[in-house]
This record gives sequence, structure tokens and C-alpha cells, in this order.
Amino acid sequence: MILAGCSNSEQSEQPTPPADQGQDDGEQAADTPKEKVELDFWSFWGSVTRRPIIEKIVSDFNGSQDSIEVKYTFVPWGDIWTKNLAAIAAGNPPDAIINDINTVAHRANQKQNTNLAPYLAKESENIQDRFFPQLWEAVLFNGEAYGLPFNTDTRLLFWNKEHFAEVGLDPESPPQTWAELEEYAKKLDKVENGKYTRIGFYPLWGVGADIWMLNSDGKNFIDKDGNVYVNTPEKIQALEWIVNWRNRLGEKTVNAFQAEFGSQQADPFIAGKVSMMVQNMNFYTQLRDYGKNVKYGVTLIPEREEGTGHWSWGGGFAVEIPYGAKHPEESYQFIKYLTDVDAQSYWAIWGLDMVANENAADHPDLQNIDVYKVAVEAMDKTLITPTPIFAPDFVSLLNPQIDAAVLGKASVQDALSKAQSDIENLVKSNKK
Amino acid sequence: MNRKTSSIRQREEVQGYIFILPWLIGFVVFVLGPLLFSLYGSFTNYNVTSRMDFIGLDNYKRMFTGDPLFWISLYNTFYYVIFMVPLTTAGSILMAVLLNQRMPGTRVYRTIYYMPSVLSGVAVYMLWMQILSPETGLLNTLLRLIGIEGPAWLFDPAWTKPAIIIMKMWSVGGGMLLYLASMQGIPTQLYESADLDGANAWHKFRYITLPMITPVIFFDLVTSLIGGFQIFQEGYVMSQSGDGGPMNSLLFYNLHMWNKAFEVFDMGYAMAMAWILFVIVMIFTALNLKYSRNWVYYEGGDNR
Repeated sequence: MILAGCSNSEQSEQPTPPADQGQDDGEQAADTPKEKVELDFWSFWGSVTRRPIIEKIVSDFNGSQDSIEVKYTFVPWGDIWTKNLAAIAAGNPPDAIINDINTVAHRANQKQNTNLAPYLAKESENIQDRFFPQLWEAVLFNGEAYGLPFNTDTRLLFWNKEHFAEVGLDPESPPQTWAELEEYAKKLDKVENGKYTRIGFYPLWGVGADIWMLNSDGKNFIDKDGNVYVNTPEKIQALEWIVNWRNRLGEKTVNAFQAEFGSQQADPFIAGKVSMMVQNMNFYTQLRDYGKNVKYGVTLIPEREEGTGHWSWGGGFAVEIPYGAKHPEESYQFIKYLTDVDAQSYWAIWGLDMVANENAADHPDLQNIDVYKVAVEAMDKTLITPTPIFAPDFVSLLNPQIDAAVLGKASVQDALSKAQSDIENLVKSNKK
Repeated sequence: MNRKTSSIRQREEVQGYIFILPWLIGFVVFVLGPLLFSLYGSFTNYNVTSRMDFIGLDNYKRMFTGDPLFWISLYNTFYYVIFMVPLTTAGSILMAVLLNQRMPGTRVYRTIYYMPSVLSGVAVYMLWMQILSPETGLLNTLLRLIGIEGPAWLFDPAWTKPAIIIMKMWSVGGGMLLYLASMQGIPTQLYESADLDGANAWHKFRYITLPMITPVIFFDLVTSLIGGFQIFQEGYVMSQSGDGGPMNSLLFYNLHMWNKAFEVFDMGYAMAMAWILFVIVMIFTALNLKYSRNWVYYEGGDNR
């Protein structure tokens, strides 16, 4: 007790370097009643913007209690999943890891992460209420959680208000449906000497065709039971709509424009070459840093027809305990802290990411930012696409067919029917 | 006396084994062990972490009957090998012949042409992705100068593999060096007597140079064939999201295998794929060896 008091006062009086503390422990080790559990926490956040944020959260956690000491390990993006897999197989995994939210159940199915149900059952609060419901859904395997959602994102429509005013559109009312989007886009196109100098909108800049297919009916390509919904009338309509768009502008125009796209100042939206664009919400930081002169608005992605829903799509990450971790109880305490309001709002404010914790996302500092506010609103209709257990690699069967249709090498109907039957076969062979 | 020599021989034998022990251990632990493990694994549903049940020939059956991507990846890999191997071989021979001329500055040229093979890996692919960019890339800009509108290379499924083969031609310098060394070893009296007989440059190349470098051609063929079947990074790095490019046109065998192993965790299936590739490569190498005696000339005399 005395000891604890001593080291506490020392900590509060001076910004104690960890080395000092270590010396202290060494001298009086014989009296130390409780040993700290050391945890190794892996993530791929190592950039100058992300790393200090996550390190601060970790050190806050270490300061908040005195039985667990978490060490943060940065593992580069290209290595982290395979290293984690090898470490689990070798029986010596990290104690907590940030991993893709879409594959939590897929990994659970292979026994690569730890079932959190026993720990969650002991809680007085209902942990699942912290999160956006679709994110919670994504971490479940057989109805039990194998990870806690950490962050996510969503796609929004950004529009250039000056361009709107210039062509006589109301700068404050963005398009609400696909038809309006097309109508506005045609008005915003600018052609000089037979060459496009500005394009109002092109659906495949910013997001892929699959996002529009999800937007068309708000349904994933495969549901939990392995039913495949690829060649539905709505999804066919979505892809046909894209192909028409490509045909209208012409492949050459699209390629020529695309070739000049860059990031930052050279971003087509910031440079004023494109008037409307669907982008990840964190496009906001680029606009903030490089597009000070751009007067833009942000809104939900237009819906297919009135009433079909402004569906958007998001990815994200969850924090989980690899299977075989040595101190699951302590790891759980840590990942619980990571997804609590304090840590999550800190992450959101400094990283401007959509966080998984709903209360953190409602933080007043965040709601003051227009884009963030709209993004939180969009979360209502943001689909998460967890990797289906029966067809974990179905996209490698779907994407080539989408490519074929967009490039005009196959009709939309044929391409999607082919994808539908290929994926159904894959599901069948995996269900056996 | 006899016993003594035999005991010396025994001791030397033991010492010999001790000397090669590091290699032996390395071979058993890092090559033979994993090799046998993967053979066994290919008959299981091994997923690295939790499963390893024997399922017989299921993986192989699924590969040949239920996986369309297996055939696509095999086709892509064959396409690449069939064009890349002869083209780079011919390219390096041609380059070696040109750089084997006695003229001022040859050394500088040799260095320049060898340089690209020193560079390696992802940096080169990044560079080539810029060169191959449809509108602003160097290659299409040059083609435009002579009035040809180049294709969209890495974005057009019909042109992705040719683009990669062209890229490979850039680094023929490595093979060139081998041919050059071998050409320098050809006795000059052969050329002298050919000169006396009135042979022209083509005759000398066809009847002296070419036969004399056949052992190196053979070596080059075998190694680049094996290397060709191992193509992986090009598809992984040069396709937009590492998924094998437009319409899976860059989904090479090893990329598909990697996806199955580390994305789907179907390691047993991936192991089975690895063994099929092993068999394919063995067949080609065996054919190569068998027919080599018809065209490879060894100066030493014994035909081996």
C-alpha cells in the first residue's frame, strides 16, 4: 500500500520517465505485492498522424490502472496478418491486435481469435450497446462476439457549390436520386472544342461499381446463410446504369481524365475538374488541408429511386484477442478500454475517423464538423460487408465479371449471371 | 594395416559428415521437412490454426472440377511462360552478340544494359506502372510520336500480360552476361578458319557461336522456365488492389495459391496447388533434359 502511494505521488509530481520507475521497482522488488501483467498490442498504425494517437491511448490506459502494462508494437500493413497467423499457429500470439472487421467471423471459424462471450457475460453494462448495430453484427460468429469494433468509415457525396451556382442549380440542394444525379451531372459537364474540360460526375471515381450495386437495394451480395444475391434486378440495373454512363462519356474521355488524377492539390474534385464525387468521409481532411478555396457541400449518396434508401458502404477494423493469448482476461480489459467513450472520442477527434462507439461519435467537437455530422447520419444506412464464411473469396469471382461488363466485354446480364452461378458453386463446395 | 586404414576411413567419413552437418540440418529442417509436410498437408483441410483432418484427394478433385480460378490462373501462367521464356532468351542472345563486338565504349554499353537487372522488386514495378500509364506514360507517349495509339496496358485485360512480358525484356541483362561470358570463351581459331573458308557473319553466328553457347542456352531455358512458373509479385503489385488485375488477367498461379493460403486460410488446398505446380515444372524440366542431348553441344566430348 505504502509502495503504491509512493510511486503514485512520484508519478504525479514529475513526468516520470519509465526508466526511473523501473529502477524503483528493482530496488524494492522484494516488497512488491503484485506483478504487472505485460501485454503486447499490435497494429499497423505507424504513420506520423496515427501512431502518436494510438500510443497516447495506450499510455492513458497504462496510467488508468496499475495491474496491466500494455506495450504497443507497430507491424507494417504488408506483414501484420501473416505474422499474426504464424504467431497463432506457433502458440505465441500478441495479446491484442487490430484486425479487419470484415473477417472477424472468418477467423473465428478457423479458431484464430478468442470468444469474448464469457467476459461480456460478466459485465454489468451491455457492451454491445456501445456500437453501431451493423458493426456489432460484423464481429459475431454463431451469435457470439470474437472482437470489438474499433473504427469504420462511410461514403458520402461531395458537391462543388460554385459549380452548381455557375450552371444555375441551387447550390444548397444536392441530387437525391440517381436520375437527379444524372440530370445535374449533364448540366455540370463542360465541353470546349469537342473535349471535356470538366465532368459533372462519374460513378466510378471514388468508389467501385460494387458500392453502387449495394446502394441499389441495401443488400449484401451474400447473406449469412450463404444465399447469393448478385444478379438481382436492382443490381443489374445499377451496373447497367454505370455502363451507360461510361458509354455516354466515352472510354477515352474517362481514361484521359483519370490519368491526370492525383491526390492533394491534384485531386480532381479539389482541382475543380469534377463537380460531384462520392468519396470516403475522410476525404474531408484533404479538403481541409489542400482545398481551402473549394466551397463544397456534403450529403448522403443519392438513392436509386425515391424511397429505396441512401445506402452507403463502410469498412473498418475491430480489436480482437488472438487465439492462445496468455492473458485473455487482461487483454479483454484493454480492448474494452479501447472501445470506450474516452479512447474512442480521442481517436475520432484527432484522426477524424468514424469510430465504432456511437456516443463517442456524437461528441460535440465532432458534430461541429459538417462532414462528420452527415457521416454519423449516414451510418444508419451504411452497409458493412463481412466476409461470408461459405465464400470467403467470392469477390475474386465477382470482380472480374463486373470488370467485363464495365469494359463492354460482356453484357451486364450475362456477366452477373455468370458471377451468380460461380459464387453459388463456391458456396456449395464450401458447405459440404 | 587393413584395419587401420579402414578406421581412418571411418573417421574421415564421420568428419566429412560433421563438416556438412550444418547444411544437412538446414536441408532437413527447412527444405525436406516442409516439403514432406506440405505433401501430407495437401491431403488435409489444414487451415494453419485449428484443423488438419485427412480428406483424401478432395483438394485435388476440387481444383480440377470446382475452381474456375484455378484454370484461369494456370492459363495466365502458361501464357506468360510461353512468351516470356523464348523472348527473353532470344533477347539476351541478341544483346550478347551485339555487345560482343570489339568497338570503343563496349564496356559502357555492357554496364548500361546490365544495370536494370541489378534493380529489383517493387521499385521496378512502380516505375513500370508509370511507364505503362495509358495517357501520360512514357511508352504510349513514344508510340504516339510514331502515330500509334497505344493500348491501356495494365487496365485492358487483353494487354496486361504482354505489358508484363515487355517489362521482363527490360532485364535481359542478367542472361546477357552469361551468354557474353560463354561467347568470350569460344576459341578464336574457329572464327579464323571460318574466315578463311569465306563464311559471312550469319554463317559464323549460326554454325559457330550458336552451337558453342548451347549449354548456356540450355541452362538459361531451364532456370527461366522454373522462374517463369513462379511469377507472383507482378500480379500482386501491378494490379490495382492486389487481386489479379482487370478480369483476373494477372491472376497467376502463385497469386491464386497465396490468396487461398493466406486470405481464405485454405492451406491444404494451397499445398495441393503447390504440388501440382511442382509436377508441371518437373515435367517440363524432364522434357528439357531429355531433348537437350539433341541440340546441346558439350565441347568436353562426353555427352552430358
